[in-house]
Amino acid sequence: MSLKSYSRARAVHVMLVYTGGCNGCDIEIVNSILSPKYDAEQYKIFLTWNPREADVLVVTGPVTKFNEEPLKKIYNAIPEPKAVIAAGACALMGGVYKNIHGDIPSEEIMGPVDKIIPVDARVPGCAVRPEDVLSGAVAALPKLLEAK
Amino acid sequence: MDGKKKSSGQNVIETEITMGPVHPAALEPYRVRLFVEDEIVKDAEITVGVNHRGIERIMEGLPVEKANSLTEKICGICSNVHIWNSVMVAEKGLEIEIPERASYIRVIMGELERLHSHLLYLAHGNEVLGHETFAMRIFYIRETVMELLRMIGGNRVQYGVSIIGGVRPRCELDEMRIQKIKEGMDFIEEKVAEFADRFVSDPMVMSRITGVCPIPKKEALRLAVSGPTLRATGVDMDLRRDMECYDPFDFDVITLEGGDVKANLLMRVLEIPESVKIIRQAIKNLPGGPITDRTWEMQDTGVIKSYVEAARGRLYHSYRLEDDRVRGSIVRTPSMSNIGAMQYACIGHHITDAQLGIVQCDPCFTCTDRAIQIIKL
Ligand code: SF4
Repeated sequence: MSLKSYSRARAVHVMLVYTGGCNGCDIEIVNSILSPKYDAEQYKIFLTWNPREADVLVVTGPVTKFNEEPLKKIYNAIPEPKAVIAAGACALMGGVYKNIHGDIPSEEIMGPVDKIIPVDARVPGCAVRPEDVLSGAVAALPKLLEAK
Repeated sequence: MDGKKKSSGQNVIETEITMGPVHPAALEPYRVRLFVEDEIVKDAEITVGVNHRGIERIMEGLPVEKANSLTEKICGICSNVHIWNSVMVAEKGLEIEIPERASYIRVIMGELERLHSHLLYLAHGNEVLGHETFAMRIFYIRETVMELLRMIGGNRVQYGVSIIGGVRPRCELDEMRIQKIKEGMDFIEEKVAEFADRFVSDPMVMSRITGVCPIPKKEALRLAVSGPTLRATGVDMDLRRDMECYDPFDFDVITLEGGDVKANLLMRVLEIPESVKIIRQAIKNLPGGPITDRTWEMQDTGVIKSYVEAARGRLYHSYRLEDDRVRGSIVRTPSMSNIGAMQYACIGHHITDAQLGIVQCDPCFTCTDRAIQIIKL
């Protein structure tokens, strides 16, 4: 392991962006990183709210119309190398909001997330389970560590 | 907003501070505009609408069972109470009597959810205060509630417990589950009492929150505040007393005076033992029998309305049924009526208290973002 990836693995900063889901996924993600039970901080994964400091972007929610632009801006503000995790059924395929009517397109929902920004890891669930969030974060790590 | 709080100095320049919709300090997307003079907030404006998904529009024309599941996705904090109330609308319209056991299980779920919401509020409030140790302690207690919810509902957030006519068969409470709930309640009561002791005897925290951002009783009534935020201002109002399913239980409605951050935080601390009390009574007197009544028949109804007391305030659902489909659905969530209080609480205080003033009203902007019409008072 090079010095660069060694030091990168010591401080992985996760930024959570909320794009219009129901709040369930967000609380579970904050819970899995901060709370004493799951405590991702022991694996040197920290929560941040500043895109310029972040390494991993966790996106939840189906991306509503108003959130499309901010999401792109935040993605561009994160320095390379970066990884994106889409968490929850909403972020993966639009969730109930997009699909409950079958094929009728929805004007409110611009998602899923991979239509808007490239996604590296996908965490399923409605709401995501904290264990899955941790394994999602682990799955996204190689991209960060192996980058030049 | 308030005539008495107009600026006094002539040469002080009013600055506008805008936060959001996506901002590091706010977890949920909403927009706050603070008009500041000399670090004192003169006016505040909160705008929602960023995560508008049009739930009522999506619900239009859905089969009623599907629409009920969708209401659960309005809010990830109080998901159970949404499906509960939405199911209750249909039950009222179709005149379905649910079995007693089902009603007890619903109450247990509702109170467990209240516990988790209140604990989340306390953790969030302490984090905004800057007291992470307390926040971590509360998150630790909250994990027990989440495990109980996962045990009964099968998921940590969206449980889908209520269906028209009762509760889902997988949410039946057997001996093992009842035992687990009992143990969980003992743990929560003990830990919360410990926390409350530490909390009120901490002079630093107390001096930081006493008298900050108060909402007077009169203003709270004028702004149509609801839930624990209203009770913290001294108004004795709790819809649980009027709900049929709470009739067998004995509990106190707690009111405090002042409506400041301290009263709001203590309100939640004091409501937790009451919820524990209700759950204990429910598992002790849990009646036998079936948990689902499947004998009802669908028919067209007029507009049906239902109110319940959610963890954060009064929740209103209404729709009518037409050919098995949901029509004209309206949902009003607690935070909708509390937005006025959030704006009011910030005004006249230091800008560093503004975030506390907003958080003290227990905001949940996700559920607030639906088709709304604001009528000026
Ligand atoms: S995936 Fe489910 S829990 Fe997560 S934001 Fe969407 S509706 Fe909410």
